[in-house]
Amino acid sequence: MYSDIRVALKMIKIYSTPTCPYCHTLKAFLKEKGIEFNDIDVSSDSKAAEEMIEKSGQMGVPVSDIDGEIVIGFDKEKICQLLKLEC
Amino acid sequence: MNYELIIIGGGPGAMSAAIYAARKKIKTLLVAKILGGQMMEGYQIENYLGVPGLMGADLTKKFAEHLKKFEKNSGQGIFDLEIKEGEEVKNIKMAPDSGEFEVCSDRRIYITKSIIIATGRAERKLEVPGTKEFEGKGITYCATCDAPLFRDKIVAVIGAGDSGQDTVWQLTKYASKIYLLNRYNELRGDDKNLQEKLKKEPKVQTLSEVELIKILGDKFVTALVYRNFRSKEEKQIEVNGIFVEIGSTPASSFVKGLLRCNEKGEIIVDHNSCVTSVPGIFAAGDVTDILEKQIIISAGEGAKSALSAYNYLKNR
Repeated sequence: MYSDIRVALKMIKIYSTPTCPYCHTLKAFLKEKGIEFNDIDVSSDSKAAEEMIEKSGQMGVPVSDIDGEIVIGFDKEKICQLLKLEC
Repeated sequence: MNYELIIIGGGPGAMSAAIYAARKKIKTLLVAKILGGQMMEGYQIENYLGVPGLMGADLTKKFAEHLKKFEKNSGQGIFDLEIKEGEEVKNIKMAPDSGEFEVCSDRRIYITKSIIIATGRAERKLEVPGTKEFEGKGITYCATCDAPLFRDKIVAVIGAGDSGQDTVWQLTKYASKIYLLNRYNELRGDDKNLQEKLKKEPKVQTLSEVELIKILGDKFVTALVYRNFRSKEEKQIEVNGIFVEIGSTPASSFVKGLLRCNEKGEIIVDHNSCVTSVPGIFAAGDVTDILEKQIIISAGEGAKSALSAYNYLKNR
């Protein structure tokens, strides 16, 4: 029970651009799994873009920040592992 | 796990083959790294019937929704199609004695009576010094993804074919200056309208008859060096981003030694039936030696390969 609550309370940020196909796929995947996340459009928010580059050490989207753990690209396996999801 | 047909790939050829196979009630598995393939990164697709001007990701979504109607347990009919996404096929072997095949992915081994290979093409990567250090740190292969991150930055596009020109056009919305490195002395490719637009765009500077020599930087890319083919002169220019569009290679390495391929690595197929050099294995779309690489042609080839597989299974 406790672990379920932890999953629900995880702080998830997705840094994306509106035109990026892998960002769309990632967000659709999270929605399908019922996971809430904060979608940050780095194409219109240059401060957020800098934050993403600082955190991930690179300049490609998507980047996921799951409770401080950084995942670069749509790495389904790693994201499932961090969110304790069955994939 | 046993199947009558395994389709390898996730692009238009593979999805179309899967729909045709499912409707023929063939027990089918589709294995793909990601649905959409190269089409996903297409910026705007203007030449697919019925849906002009869609982004590659949106056309992929339409195709995938259509495909999933034929999935087993979709509730929309009695079909026997399974889809496994996020899995990569590494190897195909002939199963001993049975005349069937073993398809080995990075997760499992499947047994099947027939196979359609529709893995398309993979982008060609840069090989100059600096490539490895700066991939993702200024070097990118996906303009539709990353172009917006280069607002007010100086960028270079390597490769001036159709995709390179399209990338330059996307970047005109964001970058302050765009160098287009062209190996030839004029712009090649099909889209004459786009070429005219690029010539008039003050931000764009085409460097003709040049090749990229190396990429420099510290944490991120800061400059590149190119050489002029004629004068042999080398020149360094400051750039923050490098977008790579130097073509693609067929994604056929996992069937090397099993199927006959041409000198480009494309799987040789009979152009009427998509039959390869091994009976029971078919191939469709951009991974094959068909001349034109287009979404609509791949979709047609996929359909053709599934009908051929159906006939093969019936007469087996």
